[in-house]
Amino acid sequence: MSALTFKLKLQTAQRIDVSPLTPDFLAGNSATDIAATELQCGNQRLRADAVFDISGDDSSNIVFDGANGKLDFIGSKMQSGNITVNGDAGAYLAFQMKKGSVTVNGNAGAYAASGLAGGTLHIHGNVGDFLASAIPGDKKGMKGGLVIVTGNAGDRVGDQMRRGIVLIEGNAGAYCASRMLAGTIGVMGSVGEYVGYGMRRGTLLLFSKPALHSTLQDCGTHTLPFLSLMFKSFRNLPTKFATINKNRVQRFGGDLANDGKGEILVFQ
Amino acid sequence: MLIKLTGGTVYDPAHGINGKVMDIYVRDGRIVERPRDEERIDQEYNLAGKVVMAGAIDMHTHIGGGKVNIARTMLPEDHRGDPVAHSDLCKAGCGHAAPSTLTTGYRYAEMGYTAGFEPAVLPMNARQAHLEMGDTPIIDKGGYVMLGSDDLLLRMMTAKKDQNAINDYVAWTINASQAMGVKVVNPGGISAFKFNQRWQDLDENNPFYQVTPRDVLQTLSRAVYELGVPHPLHIHGNNLGVPGNMDTTLNTMAGVDGYPIHLTHIQFHSYGTEGDRKFSSGAAQIAEAINKNKHVSADVGQILFGQTVTASGDNMSQFRNAGHAHPNKWVCMDIECDAGCGVVPFKYKDQNFVNALQWAIGLEIFLLVDDPWRIFLTTDHPNGAPFTSYPHLIKLLMDKTFRNDVFSRLNPDSQAMSTLASIDREYSLYEIAIMTRAGAAKLVGLHDRGHLGVGAGADITVYTDNPDREKMFAKPDYVFKDGELVVKDGQVVKVTWGGTHAVKPDFDRGIEKEISKYFNDFHTIKMDHMKVTDEHISEDGRGYVIEQECKGRREKTA
Repeated sequence: MSALTFKLKLQTAQRIDVSPLTPDFLAGNSATDIAATELQCGNQRLRADAVFDISGDDSSNIVFDGANGKLDFIGSKMQSGNITVNGDAGAYLAFQMKKGSVTVNGNAGAYAASGLAGGTLHIHGNVGDFLASAIPGDKKGMKGGLVIVTGNAGDRVGDQMRRGIVLIEGNAGAYCASRMLAGTIGVMGSVGEYVGYGMRRGTLLLFSKPALHSTLQDCGTHTLPFLSLMFKSFRNLPTKFATINKNRVQRFGGDLANDGKGEILVFQ
Repeated sequence: MLIKLTGGTVYDPAHGINGKVMDIYVRDGRIVERPRDEERIDQEYNLAGKVVMAGAIDMHTHIGGGKVNIARTMLPEDHRGDPVAHSDLCKAGCGHAAPSTLTTGYRYAEMGYTAGFEPAVLPMNARQAHLEMGDTPIIDKGGYVMLGSDDLLLRMMTAKKDQNAINDYVAWTINASQAMGVKVVNPGGISAFKFNQRWQDLDENNPFYQVTPRDVLQTLSRAVYELGVPHPLHIHGNNLGVPGNMDTTLNTMAGVDGYPIHLTHIQFHSYGTEGDRKFSSGAAQIAEAINKNKHVSADVGQILFGQTVTASGDNMSQFRNAGHAHPNKWVCMDIECDAGCGVVPFKYKDQNFVNALQWAIGLEIFLLVDDPWRIFLTTDHPNGAPFTSYPHLIKLLMDKTFRNDVFSRLNPDSQAMSTLASIDREYSLYEIAIMTRAGAAKLVGLHDRGHLGVGAGADITVYTDNPDREKMFAKPDYVFKDGELVVKDGQVVKVTWGGTHAVKPDFDRGIEKEISKYFNDFHTIKMDHMKVTDEHISEDGRGYVIEQECKGRREKTA
């Protein structure tokens, strides 16, 4: 069996909602059924075979080839299987995904990993704003699982994030970990201004000291044994975070304007 | 335009017609006598074997006004989870528990409903409510204006004003807000909540005004009767949802000196305190009291399992329930010192003891009240369940096997606390037609709706008789609104705009002097700006006011 491959052939002006093209949704469907799957594009509904050249038959392994950044909701609500995106993914990547893995060989748009509750999202590239954040109206962003970004992330990483781990090897934009409820975010590069704005609980790992606003307070330098345990659990992950073995940090608490139980740990 | 509906099996309880095969003629939106033989029939529908009823009327459904909008704003997931695409005829919409106005109208019509009445129009919010109802297509609308916790009424009562003056104020409010009747929610309690009272019994004083809920009920039920408003005082009683509140409800029935009253969503007011968990069914006692007290009518407010949102003016009970919010977010607020409002999303679960027993209590009341002219089919949309679950509810009432089958899968402890399985009654089509058509029209005071007699508005629903009543009532073959075919095979085929029913009781214009002064002293707008006129409702070219008859003022009946 070869991976079920959707090679993008139609360049549309509008974005395409590909949420039906997940392993769960397509499981047991014949090639004809898959070809006839309807996708919303702007105000039209298009057949999958009008948008993609479809080949392969293993619906538990789905590949999007030639993706152009307009394919939204890739891996939405996914509960099993793997999706690989060659090219750029659109917005809402791995939206409310529960299990399985999504790999993007390219960049991803806004609201990636929003509502992600389990599974792994690996982006070999940059990601847009609101990574692991709540969509407007929701009270929680990412709720579990693992996100690895090899490139940079946009603004508002982890806004209202509730649980899970986000590891960013590049830089993150402004308002990183804003209104964060719980969970862990690691950023190897720099972060923008207002880091931890309204942060309620949760942990943000940084490798250089950011500019902090006044309601984040210095709590001194500590050796934290839990960091050794945590990095040990990262050993087998395909990320630079797997090689880190440090546990001496300067700790900042906050945001005192909003409960103040969050922490920003900066490695010495 | 002359339409002939040929050979349908007609259920028209207002004229005692129970399953008679007959022809109905419609001319220019009205039902007419059989025309002379030489007259040309423009359209004929062969309804042989089909069930024909008047269009259904939902006499208590929250489809407009501030709280529905709050529910919509607060629940984006409700909208995201239930999108409705536009079609050539219908506009796009969304929402399961709190659908958009357009979707509300389409869905009601597609179920064979041709009218719905918003039961909580705050005088200050009347314009907003009418704007939303005016944006609800196809069905007729109307509202009951909310009084009883408003500052001016309570001031008048504290000052022991003459009943005639209060009657004038009530009549003025009905006129100014274009209402079909008067509703009182947690009489005086919404106001008491603002003075930090969290519980209020029937004879407990409001700490500021020194007025009890019983005083409010007596004053308003008398006012509505003396004004000749056809719809009796619409009462959402004290202590909603509190175990043991059936005593309050029984006292309410006894406490209004025999004036006609309508007790709404009575299921939420029929709880006892027996059993290990101190929560039990009071349905038998409540039903017995309704059977005995002919001045009382009630709608059930059945709950059905699933996600919904409770939107109510009763801030006191909504504040109590806020801890049960699912998802966890809620709103309780004051509205212009007129009243209050609480919106709490809720998920009724069939394996939850309380929810399962609530379900059973509602059905027990339906089945134990003998007179279908005085009990009405509602879920208190969206508080017990969205109105789209009515076909399912009708099946529960009409099919004992189905009912007991569902019941046997509920929380076992709740089954042990209910007598539902021992009740053999099944509603007939005739009784369903009474509850949802003839009785509802009579109760609300719609003289030309809910029946199929000559002169009635041609709101007609045609079903295919199907032993599965849920399927039957979910998808009518034809729905006519004012003589126009609006739904075919459960799909909207024409979008029309219904009217707004209102009553206009007489009052002494002298009262405006006092009301105007009150507005100048305390309100954010002038009295004249609050009034909703006929022109305001009709000026967009779609809506119009249908004035229903009042019985004329009665003097000093006490």
